[in-house]
Amino acid sequence: MIPLLLEGFESAFLPCSLILLIPGAAAAIAARQESNSALSGFVAGSLVFAWLRFSGRGGDLPLGLVALLLAVSVVLLVIPLVRRLNLVSGAGGLLTGIATGVLWEPCVSTEFGALLAELPDRGASGFGLTAVYMAGVLAPVLLLGAVLHLIPSPALILARPVMLFAGAGVLAMLAVATAAGLTDNIIGQLVEWSIT
Amino acid sequence: MKRGQWIAIFVIVVAAVGLVATNLGAGDDAEVVAQPAAEQPAADQPPTKAAGTAPRSETPPFFGQAGDLVELDGWLQSDATAFSDFDGTVRVVQFWTLSCINCKRTIPNLSALYAEFEPQGLEMIGVHSPEFDFEKDPVTIQQAAIDLNVTWPIALDTEKKNFRSWQEGRRFWPRTFVLDQNGEIRFDRIGEGAYEDLNATVAYLIQNGP
Repeated sequence: MIPLLLEGFESAFLPCSLILLIPGAAAAIAARQESNSALSGFVAGSLVFAWLRFSGRGGDLPLGLVALLLAVSVVLLVIPLVRRLNLVSGAGGLLTGIATGVLWEPCVSTEFGALLAELPDRGASGFGLTAVYMAGVLAPVLLLGAVLHLIPSPALILARPVMLFAGAGVLAMLAVATAAGLTDNIIGQLVEWSIT
Repeated sequence: MKRGQWIAIFVIVVAAVGLVATNLGAGDDAEVVAQPAAEQPAADQPPTKAAGTAPRSETPPFFGQAGDLVELDGWLQSDATAFSDFDGTVRVVQFWTLSCINCKRTIPNLSALYAEFEPQGLEMIGVHSPEFDFEKDPVTIQQAAIDLNVTWPIALDTEKKNFRSWQEGRRFWPRTFVLDQNGEIRFDRIGEGAYEDLNATVAYLIQNGP
């Protein structure tokens, strides 16, 4: 399991993980003091839908629906600005996670490649091993969540408007881009920048 | 989640960073240390030169008849006009794209394999199926082939029709197949690794036929 976890962690720093990490970070930032709820939902949504797709059990949603999920997640993540609602932030993170779990095309190194070959025939153990790999990939987002919780509350309160604008703005742009069928163009541009 | 739990996550992630850094560092060191000539590479480490590959001892499994490569946008580094031009040969067919890091990491082994078995009739075909728009330009693909030392024929699958038809349901880069002389798939690998199995399968088919 350790090699799989480390391989996932290595992938976190490769362009193929941008589509997973950027929305995850955006959801955590947009949720501000509720980032733990948003991140929990995000991890659950992305894991389940990535596992469904990679194991051939479904999970391929139409892009229009993915865009809608992202748009609704923006609304849900913005709501706690007025009222602190753990469940609403968690739901926002969950929808963001589902959307990115559908859009994500992973790097496939040695350990994960071996797992993918067996995934259609594995049940719960396959889901568990996918979770191990994704724990590595999502480590930077979890780290961000930890950092957000280490920031003193007064500073977090001051930063709220900026965090809301940045996080929700990224997710809203991604929703529009997905609806317009431009997700690949945007990710492709990020990938091109990162390799040149 | 309480602050203490988040601190625990922070510590775990930082520890993981340390582990990965140590792991990567060890890999770098290993490249510097000269290896005995007779030492075989580990199964998941790509060899960098041909090494007299031994064939597998057992008959390679059958994964079904391979499909055709259709509606291509042309070929690079080949006079071929159709996939059928390679009929009757042992073929390594890899679906790849030029910015895919895992595809790049498989190339040293493919180069060594091609150098060793191409004189004995092995054909290798890289089916370039671009993930992003900037990977679609044939000039960019040709330059990448030069930079990456890809010397074998490249089939241009710009609209990914073959990428999809050869990988129904689950699609990944890279995906490597070995086809025997009858067009049957005898090796199928998602991602990196399994180099020893790949090479031994090719050696078996070249030496023993299908």
